[in-house]
This record gives sequence, C-alpha cells and structure tokens, in this order.
Amino acid sequence: MPFPTVRYFIPVPWLARAIVDLHPEFGLLMHLDHHQMDILALVVSQENSCRFCYAAIRMLLWAQGMSEARIQQIEQKLSQTNLAPKTTAAIAFGLRQSRVGPQGAREARQILRDAGFSDEEMKEVAFVVGITDFLNRLNTIPAIPAHALERMPEQFHMRLLRPLIKRIVEKHRFRGRAAPLERPLTLPYAALIKAYAGSPIALALGRTIEEMWESAILTRRCKLLMLAVIARGLGCQACATEIEEAVQREGLGEPALGQVLTHLDAPELDDTERVLVRFARETIWYEPAALQRRTRALRDRLSEPQLIESIGVASLANGLCRMGATVMDHS
Amino acid sequence: MSAAVVGAALVLTMILAGACYRQWRRNQALQAQLQAAAADLEHLQLACSRLAPGGVVQQLVADGTRDAMVAAAEHKIATALFVDLVGFTELSERLEPAVLVRILNGYYQRMSDAIDEHRGQVGSYIGDGIVAYFGALQPNPWQCDDAVRAALATREAIHVYNVELDREGLPHLSIGVGIHRGLGLAGLVGSRERKEFSFLGSPVNLAARVQALTRLHQVDILVTEALRAELDKTILLTPMPAEHVKGFAEPVVTYAVKGTIESRPG
Repeated sequence: MPFPTVRYFIPVPWLARAIVDLHPEFGLLMHLDHHQMDILALVVSQENSCRFCYAAIRMLLWAQGMSEARIQQIEQKLSQTNLAPKTTAAIAFGLRQSRVGPQGAREARQILRDAGFSDEEMKEVAFVVGITDFLNRLNTIPAIPAHALERMPEQFHMRLLRPLIKRIVEKHRFRGRAAPLERPLTLPYAALIKAYAGSPIALALGRTIEEMWESAILTRRCKLLMLAVIARGLGCQACATEIEEAVQREGLGEPALGQVLTHLDAPELDDTERVLVRFARETIWYEPAALQRRTRALRDRLSEPQLIESIGVASLANGLCRMGATVMDHS
Repeated sequence: MSAAVVGAALVLTMILAGACYRQWRRNQALQAQLQAAAADLEHLQLACSRLAPGGVVQQLVADGTRDAMVAAAEHKIATALFVDLVGFTELSERLEPAVLVRILNGYYQRMSDAIDEHRGQVGSYIGDGIVAYFGALQPNPWQCDDAVRAALATREAIHVYNVELDREGLPHLSIGVGIHRGLGLAGLVGSRERKEFSFLGSPVNLAARVQALTRLHQVDILVTEALRAELDKTILLTPMPAEHVKGFAEPVVTYAVKGTIESRPG
C-alpha cells in the first residue's frame, strides 16, 4: 500500500517513483510468499517505530482477512504465535538486521540458512527488510500522518468495502519473472545490483539508483557523501569502498574524505554538504521524535526539494546498506 | 395487505436501525477503551524511559523481558563520560533539603539533555554524579567527538543554569567532566528483580578518576590520551601534567578541553 504517501514526495520525481517501483508486492518477488512479506514488513516497521508503515501494513493484513486478534498476537507474542518456521526465521532475521545492521549480518544470514531458505529466497528476504527500512525512514522522518490509515479498519464503510479491498489487493499483486541485467552498471551500489542479477529486483534497484544519480536537486558529491557516511556508520565495508571511490571521482580527495568520514566535517565541504553529512548520520539509529525535530530544523537551510531528496537519499542508503550486508559476502 | 407490508417494513427498518445504533454505541465504547489503553501504554513507556535509555526500553519491549536479559551483554569499544558536581558536600550542608533537591533536579535535567542531544545515553546517577556512554548501545564511529561535544554542551548548560540560580539568589554550581574510551562490557546487568543498562570496565573507572583530576588541574573538562587521538582537530586541547590515579599503574596523561575552533573567542 505505498500510494497514499506518493504525493508528499512529488517534488522529487525519482523518489515518488521509487516508492512504487521498489515495493515488493508489484512483481519483484519470485520466490518469497506475499503473506510472509506482509508479516515481515509489519514486524520490521514495528521495530523501526514507523507509525505510518505499521498502520498501512496492519490495514493491508486486515483487508486480506486477518482478524484483529491474530494481528495483535503477531505483534505482541511473536514467540507464541503459530507461524510457519520459515516465517519465524525471516522475522528473526528482519529484527536482527534492523537492530544490529550489517555487523550482525553473518549471524542473521545463518538464521535463514538454518530454516532452509535457498540463496535466492534469502536475497528476497533481505530485499523486503531493506526496503521496509527504506520506507520506514521515508515516512517517519517527515512525520507523514498515519491517523487516517489507523482508523480505516474501524470505519463502517471500510468494513463493508473489506472484500472489495481484498480483491483489489490480490489482483494488483503479482509475482516477478526472471529479468536479465541489460547492461553493466557503474553507479554506486553496482555490486549490490549485480548480486540480484536475474531477478526483477536488480532492474528496479538499478532504475531507482540511476534516477537518484541523475537528479540535479542535490549535487552528486553531496549525495555520495551522505551514502558514504551511512555506510561508515553502519559498518558496511563493501558499500563503503564502492561509494568512497565514487566520491573521489567526484573531486573530493582522500584526505578530505577521510576527515569527513571520521569527523563529519571538512573545510572542503560547502554549507549544504556540511548540513547533510550530519543529517545522514542521524538516520542510522534513530528515535522518531528526535530525528523529526532535527529534520524540522533543516527547513530553514534547505529548499523543499532539497530536504525531500536528502530524506530520500538517506532512507535509501540505510535500506541498501542493510540489504547489501546479507547479499554480498563481506561481513 | 399493503399496510401490513409497510408495517413489516417499518418494523424491520426499526430493528435494523436499533441494531446499527447498538453497534455504533459498541464501537464508541471500544474506541474509548482503545484510547484509554493507548494512553496507559504511553504513560508506561514514559515511565520506562525514565529508568533506562530509550533503545534499551524498546529492546525489552520487543524481545520480552526474559530473552533480553539473557541476550544483551557484549564487549564493545565505547566512550564513558563522567560528570560530577564540584563542592556538592558543602552545598548539601548549607541548603534546605527541598531547595537542594530542586537544584539537583535542574542540574540532572540539563546535563541529561546535553548528553541526549549528542547521542549519548545516561547510564546512571551516582550521588551527584552522572555516568553516560557513547557507542555502547549502538555502534557509533563518531563517539569521541560526540562525547566531547556533549561535555561542551554541559559546560554551556551549567553556565545558563547559573544565571537562573543567580536570579533566585542561590549558589552557583560548577562541574567536572572526565572522558575516556576503551573496551568494556555493555548490556543489562543486575539482580533478577532489578536490572539496568550499563557499560562496565576500565573505561568507566578511568573516566571517573580523570573527572576527579579536574579539581587538581583546576579545569572543568579533561580527556585521556586515548580519546585525544580520535578527536576532531577543531577541538582545542591543552596538555596537562601526567598524574597517578588509583587503580592504574601508569601515570595518566590528560588534556583540558578549551572549546572548538568555531566557538573560540576572538
């Protein structure tokens, strides 16, 4: 259910498109069950304290026929819920990835292996968790209101429309088909995209990253610096190396980059970069209220599209680094 | 015949309307119950957040108390910051208990806010001292800069607080801050009945000893050599003579924190 939020991000077209393009329910998953995906997204959103995503997925589960009691059981007593062992393992993985990040990737991956996930299924679980991390931040940082979504299951007309919503949801969800990568990539996260080669996920990720890269709202160097800070903060070495090389190609020398990554500042940075490098680190581990307060403080220093794009870049980087830790063998 | 049909339709409509009204009333009651439960939960979260760092509370809620207590301890490199009131004993003898508690609460609040603002977690209050950690709960590669900036914020906060105390004719407060970084054990520790998030080991002990050295060196913020090596060069430091401290064989080299290049007067 990504659509209610798109209008907030229209000033940054690539971001509005990414919300739909990267949503796993629309033809990106070839192996993972959609119901498993919903439950995984619900638990990760709960972990990330994203009120909007949490309400949206709750609504979606309710519309598909899950009772309120069952949803509450999943939320509150996960260990006592009769979920399939693979779903339980996927949830344990999702919680670990969101809580510990790339540094816990090896253990998190082992949870999936022990539960019998194939490599391809494992990559899809990592994708769902990473994209949920992305969407959680995207909706939490600007405090997108969730009240309307939260109230939907209580409304009389929504109860009447429940079967219809279920049909619409089921009709619009579809499984992905194998799709070869059309050309070699030279963008940031090329290694991550390559790891998904053969899956429609690779094409969707490639398109989003390419459009982000082409967007002129923030400079490429500024975006790369934000990506580099998040990769450093999360300890994702594979992503960090690739991004740091790209920053240097954009004209920031190694000593200055080292200074930025160690102290979040350097004389070579312009004002926007200086502000956004610090903002990027706030998005790694966050408490919603503090992060939203700090984001509001940026409104005087950035234009609206700049602020929205910076939220999008930081959110995406958080999702991709967490995803990368599982699908690229480096941790 | 038609009158009977109309009558039956009316009765049916009234029954339906009655059922709808009952359902509406039930929904309203459930809604009120839900709001009350949500309010209770918020109060509970607020109460919990006063007892432990936010992240720990979230983890406890998410894992369930049993799992979290078993799982939570691990070795980490983190930074410990120790704040203490200078001359508290003398102050406590001079002031009425009620006034003293009010001053202390204001001090704790301001120190905690300064620490929170720079991504630190207040671990515990020890008498008039506060111990805080940076990078103990979540990985933080910028923990040393954060800790020193938090210390500078406590300096600024105590300055502002003193202006307020001055207006009320109350005595000024001054603080000593010690900061050190190293490997320790981070996690939930304590008895079966009561646990708290803690960072244990020599970094905390040395931070406390370094804090005590602020009296000797007549400065308010001191950092160790281990911390200095990691600090941003815009943070201005003055080396202090090495001193022996209790529990450590080698003399400890410390640096007084003057400020940052941005905040340097003139």
